[in-house]
Amino acid sequence: MPDISILTTITPNHYLVLSACLFMIGVAGVLLRRNLIVLFMSIELMLNAVNLSFVTFSHSFGKVDGQVMVFFVMTIAAAEAAVGLALAVSIFKRFKEVNIRFFEHLKG
Amino acid sequence: MNHQLLVAILILSPLIGFLLNGVRFKHTNYIAAGAIATTAVFLSFVCSVLLFMDLVNAPENQRTIAVGFYEWFSVDKFTINVGFVVDQISSIMILIITGVGSLIHLFSIGYMHHDKGVTKYFAYLNLFVFNMLLLVLGDSLLTMFVGWEGVGLCSYLLIGFWFNDAAKAAAGMKAFITNRVGDAAFIIGMFILFATFGTLNIHELNALAPTTMEASWLGAVTLGTLMLFIGATGKSAQIPLYVWLPDAMAGPTPVSALIHAATMVTAGVYMIVRLNPLFVVAPNTMMVIAVIGAATAVMAATIGLTQYDIKKVLAYSTVSQLGYMFLAVGVGAFGAGMFHLMTHAFFKALMFLGSGSVIHGMHEEQDIRKMGGLKKYMPITHITFLLGWLAIIGMPPFSGFFSKDEILWQAYSSPRGHVLLWVAGAIGAGLTAFYMTRLMALTFWGTSRVDKHVHPHESGSLMTIPLIVLAILSVIGGWVGIPHVISESFGHIPNYWEHWLSPLMTKLPELAENAHGGHSAAEEWALMGISVSIASISALTAFVMYLKKGDAPKKFVEAIGPVYKAVYNKYFVDEFYFASIINPLVTGSRNLWYYVDVNVIDKATYKATDLVRGGGSFVRSLQNGNMQQYALYIIAGVAITLSLVLMR
Amino acid sequence: MTADAFLFWFLAALTIISALSVILMTNPIYSALSLAMTMVSVAAIFVTLQAYFLAGVQIIVYAGAVMVLFVMVLMLFDLKHELQAFTRGRFSGAFKIASIGSLAGLLVGAMYSARINSALTESSIAANATSKGAITPLAEELFLRNVFGFEALGVLLLVIAVGTVALSRSKGGTHARH
Repeated sequence: MPDISILTTITPNHYLVLSACLFMIGVAGVLLRRNLIVLFMSIELMLNAVNLSFVTFSHSFGKVDGQVMVFFVMTIAAAEAAVGLALAVSIFKRFKEVNIRFFEHLKG
Repeated sequence: MNHQLLVAILILSPLIGFLLNGVRFKHTNYIAAGAIATTAVFLSFVCSVLLFMDLVNAPENQRTIAVGFYEWFSVDKFTINVGFVVDQISSIMILIITGVGSLIHLFSIGYMHHDKGVTKYFAYLNLFVFNMLLLVLGDSLLTMFVGWEGVGLCSYLLIGFWFNDAAKAAAGMKAFITNRVGDAAFIIGMFILFATFGTLNIHELNALAPTTMEASWLGAVTLGTLMLFIGATGKSAQIPLYVWLPDAMAGPTPVSALIHAATMVTAGVYMIVRLNPLFVVAPNTMMVIAVIGAATAVMAATIGLTQYDIKKVLAYSTVSQLGYMFLAVGVGAFGAGMFHLMTHAFFKALMFLGSGSVIHGMHEEQDIRKMGGLKKYMPITHITFLLGWLAIIGMPPFSGFFSKDEILWQAYSSPRGHVLLWVAGAIGAGLTAFYMTRLMALTFWGTSRVDKHVHPHESGSLMTIPLIVLAILSVIGGWVGIPHVISESFGHIPNYWEHWLSPLMTKLPELAENAHGGHSAAEEWALMGISVSIASISALTAFVMYLKKGDAPKKFVEAIGPVYKAVYNKYFVDEFYFASIINPLVTGSRNLWYYVDVNVIDKATYKATDLVRGGGSFVRSLQNGNMQQYALYIIAGVAITLSLVLMR
Repeated sequence: MTADAFLFWFLAALTIISALSVILMTNPIYSALSLAMTMVSVAAIFVTLQAYFLAGVQIIVYAGAVMVLFVMVLMLFDLKHELQAFTRGRFSGAFKIASIGSLAGLLVGAMYSARINSALTESSIAANATSKGAITPLAEELFLRNVFGFEALGVLLLVIAVGTVALSRSKGGTHARH
């Protein structure tokens, strides 16, 4: 019988790998999607992945510092979402679309 | 009066005149411009006279006024001060420059009154006088060189004064470039002298020169003086660099009189006389100078025989007479060279101004084949020109006789002279008499060949007064230097000239042994008689050929066909220079431009720019403004960094 | 298989699937709903890690406020199914996916090599919670030791609120002429 302890025994590593997967999905969204709002959602995904790591470490080290950091991250994330969406609204008002290509003026 | 102040006024007055006319160069009021310029030069003349009187009144051994103004620059032990020296030699020069210069300025007012650029013309003329004074008075070779270059510049500006005519502009450039060749040699000469003596101060050089004796036949002093002489051949139009002077006649005629007859072209002679102790210790240089002077005198005279442009004839005559001066300084007769310089300044300036008067009266006609019989239309011009003619062919007692005869006698009798040099000089004198008589005959005498539409007229008094003054000077100018043999016969008239210059003239070392060089008074009388009779015979021949027998010249020309053609075309020297130097240079430069510059250097630089541009456009494509692209770079960078960290 | 392990795998699968659907749905509304689903499952994972307070905040702030904001904006724009949901460029797309994959592999590899393999147990926080109440340690940490950061965050939120209003109410930017 093969060793299935990796399936049966849940370690912090499991949580961290899950966090990494979540983060990379967020990165993929940022890199590949063209809709500005979906881009923001992907950023939220990445932030959530980080939160998950924090909580995991907090739990495994038995300290609440990580949870405090999560609290901060959530606040920043909410603020970022608010500003980002305001920008999206401005863009939409002007171009009737929220495509990333309207942000392509940072050329060299 | 304070000497420093006098010298300052003397030098700065033409400069101020130049500035005054220079800032208002677009004005066409010829009276105002001429008045400013003439006043400026006349003021200089007054200063020169005052300085000269001071020198005359000073004791004989203190006849040097040296004034320093300020330190120009100083490098280690090499210090150049801006200082000026008025002594026996330079006082004569400043009198000639400012005196003849004033007359020519006066003449120019009449001659240039129709010209639109008259103010500019007078500005250039004043600038020239300023530079010439700098050249003459400078107490170091470097100060002299500044003036040397300055007169070259003014010469260029004035030859090409009517620069809308391409040929005249080209003549200006020719003069400038030919002079540059000489100037380069002059600079090299200065380097050599500085390396040898450690100073460029003329007084110090002259003091140091007798202490050195040339060890070999081409030592440092010989080489240095030879280089200076090459510089002089450029400025003073000697073989091989004389080609620019005939072309320089493209400028206004008073300019030819002032710059290309009386003053600038004598700068080379003056420089050698100034440095005579230095040249005396270099016998080989002096031999070269004498030979080149004699050769130039004869060759230019032969070309002068064939020319039909009144100014060209005078130009070749000038080259020829300058050859005499170099012959004189080459055989060690520095005083005689200076003497001829002065008398030549008088009579050649007179003849140029006279030709200017003729050209003016003939409405810009310069070809003597279209003149003739002008005697009755222009009496004053004719009389004055006649006196100049008598002076230049060396008729006693006109000024040219004394100076030329002195040169010929010295060429024969000097320890560094040779009988062949005398022969060349005598032949030159005969040729001079011939072409000058020819010029007189074709221009003023005989039947009129003037075009029917042209009505010759005498020039105004502004132009005739300078002619008269110069004519008087041409007649009496030689009386200050009457040779001993003559003066003894007429009751001891002192030779003022020799006496005046003698403190600054170095005696040839060979002379110390036998004081008179072993030549008797009878020899001198004989040679004098020979040269005068040669001149008279050839003048008479020319008179007969061109006036009595109209077809004689043509027959003679046909008899010597190819020779005449060669002489008429100036021995093809210009063509030779073009074929041997200028064209190879132009072709070489063009090849360098095409094969090296365009194909190698340009291509290399273009390739370099292409490389940079290519790299730039590649890098630019990375920064295309696409945010997701930028995010990708972040991710890729993190991945690479992380992999590096993990691999350790 | 224990209940804990089963719960983890279930929640992990739910999280991954809903996260994937966030970035793969072409209609933004579906993306937003998937994001809400992800938030809820992450909150549940927080519960399994005994961070009960954070789980609550996660539900209220993220799944509530932030998600409502997203959906509101989407409704406002009235965005439909997008024809071009993903960036073009075959090469750069491949490069992007390659770097994402390699980074993910590297991260997992790093964690595997770090070997935090001790089994998940009752943490000391939970032990404290029984005596002092679950929220007390967090509150002490937050309001006593990090009080400056907390206040700074408050100021930041105020600035953000003002900025957001300024951004969205103007027609052509904050300095546009009327």
